[in-house]
Amino acid sequence: MTQPQMIHPGETPEQHAAFQARIARGEKIEPGDWMPAEYRRQLIRMISQHAHSEVVGMLPEGAWITRAPTLKRKTILIAKVQDEAGHGQYLYHAAETLGATREEMLDALLSGKAKYSSIFNYPSLTWADVGMIGWLVDGAAIKNQTMLAGCSYGPYSRAMVRICSEETFHHKQGKEMIVAYAQGTPEQRQMAQDALNRWWWPALMMLGPHDADSPNTGALVQWGIKLKTNDEVRQEFINEHVPELLEVGLAIPDPDLHQDEHGNWKHGPINWDEFWAVVKGEQGLHRERLGARRKAHEEGAWVREAVQAYAARQLGQAAD
Amino acid sequence: MMAGHDTQWPRWEVFKQDAPGRPYQAVGSVHAGDPDHALLTARNVFVRRPSAVSLWTVREADLLTATPQELEAQPEVLDTPGEAGTYHVGLKRTHRRSMTFVDLVGALEAKGPGDALRQAREQYPDALTWLVFPESAVVRTDDDPGTLESWFAPAKDKTYKQQQYYGVIGKHMGELKREGRMPQRVNEEPHIGDQKVYSHPHDKAPKVQR
Repeated sequence: MTQPQMIHPGETPEQHAAFQARIARGEKIEPGDWMPAEYRRQLIRMISQHAHSEVVGMLPEGAWITRAPTLKRKTILIAKVQDEAGHGQYLYHAAETLGATREEMLDALLSGKAKYSSIFNYPSLTWADVGMIGWLVDGAAIKNQTMLAGCSYGPYSRAMVRICSEETFHHKQGKEMIVAYAQGTPEQRQMAQDALNRWWWPALMMLGPHDADSPNTGALVQWGIKLKTNDEVRQEFINEHVPELLEVGLAIPDPDLHQDEHGNWKHGPINWDEFWAVVKGEQGLHRERLGARRKAHEEGAWVREAVQAYAARQLGQAAD
Repeated sequence: MMAGHDTQWPRWEVFKQDAPGRPYQAVGSVHAGDPDHALLTARNVFVRRPSAVSLWTVREADLLTATPQELEAQPEVLDTPGEAGTYHVGLKRTHRRSMTFVDLVGALEAKGPGDALRQAREQYPDALTWLVFPESAVVRTDDDPGTLESWFAPAKDKTYKQQQYYGVIGKHMGELKREGRMPQRVNEEPHIGDQKVYSHPHDKAPKVQR
């Protein structure tokens, strides 16, 4: 217990040691159990950001539903976007078990206070982007989520297990699409390559800052929330995807990309200024994404009012 | 743990049965204004994949749940008052990775929720979480063929939501490794960057240098 800031007023080192021992035994922490206030705070922060990312993540792909080239691709895309909505729901539920309310979390998203994954502030410019998002963005997300499925907090872990089992379909449909286009007409190849050029670096960035610049990582790893660091997950992602992308004949837009003596693919320097600018909404589509969410929320107001009125009337009838 | 200013619809715990004879499992929760709304939302959120044959929802206020650690710290939970009658019991029994919280294991007669919890703990002393709720609080889907068809069959028929539908895509990496053709180096093509016009690696041989 070398990080005293993790022990909040009213908590004792003994409580922390007992908690740490539970983590070490591989026990899952459940909502009613004692947990450090800092553990609770970190989880609410992570899970709500994750939920917001699923919700905002519907926007770049949802924009292509009406323009899908075939009925098959359209039904697949609709199912995928529905899944993202469902994943947001699973995650809000997990955060609620820690005492955060759905309302607070949605308010934080709509007011712009809350963060979500930087990746969804990039535009989806062509149909191939839908495939590349599935292959790279969902591929990166699965690496992260598979790790989180083993996390120490029961409700988060369960949400992740469920999400991973569904997300694998997202990854595969995207890969299938890009493999087809990379072997298609010159125009299709060009479109696939162009999508890779634009999504490669954002996909690497979405796995988070380097370990040296990630202040929360120590506590998160110690408490079994994260079982791997950002750089470890990023390395796994790169090692899996680089050979596959090369195999289908695409060129990866990183002149420094090479394999080291251990066979790990090493990427060139990442433009973290861009990452932070996109996270903060100074660059990219942050304003448009929030605008779309707010509009949807406002346009749904009459539905919420109707449901509330119906529930109140039923309650009134029951009282009679 | 209640923040106390949640003005949204009540929360409902969702229990899903995957096949006849299988236990109902707690899969998560939804917010809804009334029982029908709760069931419909539960279906949309938790039955986008096979398989399910039945859903129950129970309003959060009607559930009582506790872990051993919680009962040690607050034994008075076992005195929680409420209506007498039939109570369903759910248990969490393992720390293994899972996508469900508790399995419903049966029902018992109790004087109230606290008593139901006490009996559940006596019957299943090794459980990691106990959960009880009265039969009167359960909202369930109908089990007639029409309901089963319209509520649960569509998810089953949409096989493109299953990863197996896509099979193995491209060259399987294991196959490439065995053949000694696993790409080891970046293509020698000039890198693309922002350039719009480029010659595709496919146009040159060998495609991948080893």
